[in-house]
Amino acid sequence: MAESGSSGRFSSSLTGSTLPPPRTRIFKIIVIGDSGVGKTCLTYRFCAGKFPEKTEATIGVDFRERLVEIDGEKIKIQLWDTAGQERFRKSMVQHYYRNVHAVVFVYDVTNAASFRSLPAWIEECKQHALGTEVPRILVGNKCDLQDSIQVSTDTAQQFADTHSMPLFETSAKNPNRNSDHVEAIFMTVAHKLKSQKPLVLSQPTTCGCF
Amino acid sequence: MCSDPVDIETLKRAAGTKGGLLTDEVRRKVWPKLLNINVYKLPHKPGRAVRKNHKDYNQVVLDVSRSMKRFPKGMPAADRGALQEQLIDIILEVLKCNPQLHYYQGYHDVTVSLLLVVGERMAIAMLDKLSNYHLRDFMDPTMDSTKHILNYLMPILEQVDSELHDFMIRAEVGTIFALSWLITWFGHVLSDFKHTLRLYDFFLSSHPLMPIYLAATIVLHREKEVKQAECDMAMVHHLLSRIPQDLPYELLICQAQDLFDQYPPSLLAKQAALQSHKRMVKMAVWGLSATLGAAAFAVAQTAMDWGPEVLLQLF
Repeated sequence: MAESGSSGRFSSSLTGSTLPPPRTRIFKIIVIGDSGVGKTCLTYRFCAGKFPEKTEATIGVDFRERLVEIDGEKIKIQLWDTAGQERFRKSMVQHYYRNVHAVVFVYDVTNAASFRSLPAWIEECKQHALGTEVPRILVGNKCDLQDSIQVSTDTAQQFADTHSMPLFETSAKNPNRNSDHVEAIFMTVAHKLKSQKPLVLSQPTTCGCF
Repeated sequence: MCSDPVDIETLKRAAGTKGGLLTDEVRRKVWPKLLNINVYKLPHKPGRAVRKNHKDYNQVVLDVSRSMKRFPKGMPAADRGALQEQLIDIILEVLKCNPQLHYYQGYHDVTVSLLLVVGERMAIAMLDKLSNYHLRDFMDPTMDSTKHILNYLMPILEQVDSELHDFMIRAEVGTIFALSWLITWFGHVLSDFKHTLRLYDFFLSSHPLMPIYLAATIVLHREKEVKQAECDMAMVHHLLSRIPQDLPYELLICQAQDLFDQYPPSLLAKQAALQSHKRMVKMAVWGLSATLGAAAFAVAQTAMDWGPEVLLQLF
């Protein structure tokens, strides 16, 4: 252990030979919000192209990724799907806030409580140094359930404006998957990230050496 | 099994050896005995009142209603629905009787495994016992104790395969990939219920930290795959958190037992404590809450090694 372990965490910058092929930039996006708002559904829908038949409670964090092409550049989008229950985020999920490039906040349009929790989630992010300087977007999920909407688009838009975030309303269960906006949501984030300075975007573990 | 008093050691050995307790019929008889449950004095079925004004009601309903995968394929929807209602009642009843315990997502995965084998009233008795012993640390107000238990994983790996250990440290993968394994006794991640049951036989007859030793054997079993992966948090987390469904459970159970004997918790306690920053307090919290004799004793011993002043500060 002594010889190889002594270099510890800093040695990750030396593992160049095991990195992905050059020029595949990775955008790491964390998806957060209350339990049951549909975070797993959204991330699955984006990465697998369809919505899952049944999802279960996420315990800890789950990870999904998809390779996309933006303006001729191949980019890997990594989505970190987190547990909604408060006890997990307090001591478990912190590790996964590191090196995050963007944040997607999700609430359920049929559950006013999940909307009221948003300030707490925003605060949570600020504590992990993810404030207004990183792209953040707000997603109101389950808008297919028209009859039980509790959070109006106006209310949500006002909130989004106050916090300088774009708002999307979507349904990860929309049968017509071309009109569910899920694609647009994550691609908007990816475009925004791509238009920023490249150095900021390279994962710190790779020393920004591309 | 019919002897009185019952020979727990023999039952424990049977649960740990090849094939475990084999059938649900045997499990129904042995599981309660392993937890020292009085089968003549089972709790009553909870009434409707248990659902009223319960702080965890919404979260429990949400998790249970999404737990369809845990029920046998082909079970009629009505039967499953009835069991899900029982599941909600069982969980809320145990939480109501133990106000010091806090619900966590995954508790429902443990409960469903018990319910499907032993039925509602025995499941309440077993869950109550497990919650106060094996699962106790996961049910604190925070997950700090759980995090501490996860800290045992890396020291075990380091003992057996330092190269693998160092690779995982370099990748900064953390231990959250094993979180659901630990707190649901693998019930959340295994799709074949017979494997879950086999592991439950093993864990019910073992030290509360045994799930961490099994987690270590699974990582060690996949050592080649891991080392070939990109040395990156996301990649390694992704690889490890997706558990292969065809694992050689009998072999892994033997290996976990061997690891436990070779590197008992008392030996690893200090290294585990060093993994976290607030080590003293966390160690002590764990020592006080892991109520199975040997565990608490081992930790107390370790704490005593550091001197009684450490312990005194806590009271």
